[in-house]
Amino acid sequence: MEFERILSATGPTMGHVTTFPQLPINPKKKKDKLLAEKRKDPKKIAWFQCVGSRDINKCDNPYCSSVCCMYAVKEAIIAKEHAGGDLDCSIFYMDMRTPGKEFEKFYQNAKDKHGVNFIRSRVHSVTENPQTHDLNIRYVDELGQIVHDTYDMIVLSVGLEISNETKELSHKLGIDLTPNGFCKTDSFEPVSSSRDGIYVSGVFNNPKDIPESVLDASAAASAAGDALSAARNTLTKAIEKIPEINVIGERPRIGAFICDCGSNINGVVDCPDVTEYAKTLPYVEFADEAMYACSQDAQAKMVEYIKEKNLNRIVIAACTPKTHEPLFQETLANAGLNKYLFEMTNIRNHNSWVHKNNPEIATQKAKDLVRMAVAKAALAEPLKEEKITVNDSILIIGGGLAGMTSAKSLATQGYKTHIVEKKDKLGGEAHKLYRTAQGEDVQSKLNELIKEIESNDNIIVHNNTTLESVDGFVGNFKSTLKNNDKEFELEYGVAVLATGAKAFVPDEYKYGKDSRIITSLDLDKMFKTNDVDLDRVNSAVFIQCVGSRQPDRPYCSRVCCTHSIDNAIELKERKPDMDIFILYRDIRTYGERELLYKKARELGVIFIRYDVDKKPQVRIDNSQLFIRVNDHVLNKPIEIEADLLTLAVALVPRKDETLANFFKVPLNDEGFFVEKHAKLGPAEFATDGVFVCGSGHYPKPVNEAITQGRASASRALTLLAKKDSLFTSGTVASVDPLKCSQCGVCVSICPYSAPLFLTEGRFEGKADVNAVLCKGCGLCVASCRSGALHLRGFDTNQIFSQIYAMSEVV
Amino acid sequence: MGNLFEHMGIERDRIHFSWISSAEATKFVDVVKEISDKVRALGPNKKLVKDYN
Amino acid sequence: MADQDIKIVSFLCNWCSYGAADLAGVSRMEYPADIRVIRIPCSGRMSPKFILSAFREGADAVWVSG
Repeated sequence: MEFERILSATGPTMGHVTTFPQLPINPKKKKDKLLAEKRKDPKKIAWFQCVGSRDINKCDNPYCSSVCCMYAVKEAIIAKEHAGGDLDCSIFYMDMRTPGKEFEKFYQNAKDKHGVNFIRSRVHSVTENPQTHDLNIRYVDELGQIVHDTYDMIVLSVGLEISNETKELSHKLGIDLTPNGFCKTDSFEPVSSSRDGIYVSGVFNNPKDIPESVLDASAAASAAGDALSAARNTLTKAIEKIPEINVIGERPRIGAFICDCGSNINGVVDCPDVTEYAKTLPYVEFADEAMYACSQDAQAKMVEYIKEKNLNRIVIAACTPKTHEPLFQETLANAGLNKYLFEMTNIRNHNSWVHKNNPEIATQKAKDLVRMAVAKAALAEPLKEEKITVNDSILIIGGGLAGMTSAKSLATQGYKTHIVEKKDKLGGEAHKLYRTAQGEDVQSKLNELIKEIESNDNIIVHNNTTLESVDGFVGNFKSTLKNNDKEFELEYGVAVLATGAKAFVPDEYKYGKDSRIITSLDLDKMFKTNDVDLDRVNSAVFIQCVGSRQPDRPYCSRVCCTHSIDNAIELKERKPDMDIFILYRDIRTYGERELLYKKARELGVIFIRYDVDKKPQVRIDNSQLFIRVNDHVLNKPIEIEADLLTLAVALVPRKDETLANFFKVPLNDEGFFVEKHAKLGPAEFATDGVFVCGSGHYPKPVNEAITQGRASASRALTLLAKKDSLFTSGTVASVDPLKCSQCGVCVSICPYSAPLFLTEGRFEGKADVNAVLCKGCGLCVASCRSGALHLRGFDTNQIFSQIYAMSEVV
Repeated sequence: MGNLFEHMGIERDRIHFSWISSAEATKFVDVVKEISDKVRALGPNKKLVKDYN
Repeated sequence: MADQDIKIVSFLCNWCSYGAADLAGVSRMEYPADIRVIRIPCSGRMSPKFILSAFREGADAVWVSG
């Protein structure tokens, strides 16, 4: 965390990597003098992983903190970027755990493209060289040899732990915790605590990264919403609407408000001078300075001025419209003005804050900016926002765990939900699982859920059904579905894509050549049926990363390490003297799954690491099965005779390009759906009204699939709940049909397919822009050869007026 | 674009195109400085300017 | 030369560079005060006409940033 601050542009050294960045330095103080002497730009930085995690000697945290590997890799890359190419960055680790979406590629890039060193080792000690102040470290490498090295700076990748306050609070609330202080949750209700009505999210519910925390939060909202569905809309109040004054045809009467922002602007820019100047500009009827224009009383005053002076356009010179435009627009609406009769110019972020040493120039620039804004505002016109009607039924594609969970939540909250499943029954891949990482039986819970879904009046299940077409947009989708040659149509407002993933069919390790060579799911099946063949097994081998983390499939499948370890434990429990070997590359038992890894080792499961370029060899000789692998401790090849070889195969996405095209959503190189935002929008697409959950987004275990199912429902609900107040933006493109030459450039250039040719009416054949689909980018406007297209709010004449105003020197 | 304007007598360094994501404040500042330096080296633009007289 | 007033008309995309400019402000960075920002919804909105017009109105440079 301290290193993150050093890297930050707003940190103590403004992003410059240095040792001892603390400020201020007082040369008279002995301590500071020593610091200044020691301070230097490091040439070699080391990261130590698993500090305070996966450790019961120095601390009591046997779990993995999940996030530290990734943040260390990220910090090393940024440090190298900031300090230039010759900075030596080394990460000392036990297992590199990058099982998140796109994380594995990031790790490989750090190694191959950025030249970060990864040293699998255990660090013994650190000592400071009293002369040079360098840090000497001693570590044991993988072969057990002691190595000495010297670094300028060491970053400890500290783990996460639950604070005592949180533990006390949990005790007061009466919710159960795990021995490590995390909230105890069920894999099938992953955000519900042991007490009804209390939900959990984030790291308290096991260590996790940002996207999983965001999913948790959305899922908790869905769980809370389910419980409160009966009380929905009982406490809402209607907002009174103020009728809009018609200003069309009126001469512009502009009110300009200059914000001091306390001293943020006024401390640099001469605001009274700018206000006086604003009064001299054409069409400006009134100008005023405000201490904080965004404050409630300033807003109330603004409404009064608008009414009193009969203003019909407003210019605000303050901070950024990206955060404050909606606030001022509301003020306009309260005064009865159309909210687009407004222009904001940024004299803080773009001016006072960045030119604080040049008050005169900054004041001049502020004047220029105000003049440009006034010129544009004079041409502002009232714009209409189209109301979007929302069909409040939902289509869920895929009837697996994630899809069913999403459906259950949406149906509970009163929405009609359709599930389309191409197979003949619900449940998907979960039918093949034996138990979860927490030891719950999957089949009984799954069948319970299927029964609930099938008996829910709000859910209509379409088995054996495929999607044939999709038309429309958010709130108004229309699809043709096909069930055994029978076609039917369905209208719905939002869609959830829960198509899942499937197990990869391996083409190596002699899979399919011998009945003793199976996949993890085959082994689950043997457990479920208590297969008698299991009794004959005395030696079992697991090979990890089959089809994952290699050039043709560079991602980590996330679930397989835990799956194999859990299966190894099951085998050991059934037959304690069985020899079990797990051949792995990195064990990725993130979070409290680490405890399973620990348990497996305690039970005597043997873990042997292999490199991707030295994969294990499988040999069948005289109907005996041998696996040859290089032992990482002995550094010698060994051969194991096995009765059972389980391949932990990759999870591969369905890569349904047709479906992706139907909803205009992107797939990544491997075929997983690409969400709206990797961190902050993990259950939705950039396309409005389309949501994602389950392993189609990225491979995930039962509890995470259910969390994302709930999260997608929660995100869909926020849209459906706004049913009566969903409007398009007013700043969209429109066509002047009299000028349109029907050339079709706008139709072909638009990334959102908003412009189309009219097929009927007076202007048949001319282009027309669908305001709901239009994002207001203006691409079509710039491309129109006839000048028929206009972008409301950013029209050509408005931009020209700003350019002209720039040059006017008054 | 640059070539077209060069043809019209506008120096290449007077037109800049860049792509900066909303998180890249440092890059933004660097680009402003770079452009400012280049344009200052060229001096005020005389070409194409509308003649008010 | 250095103290001479120059003007760089900057067309900044609302979602990208405009945000970067905001962030530069929040981070209290400093840069030359020569730029005059015109906020556009997307760099796709740009048209050569705007650039020509800016020069015509006396801009010393034009900067388009997406």
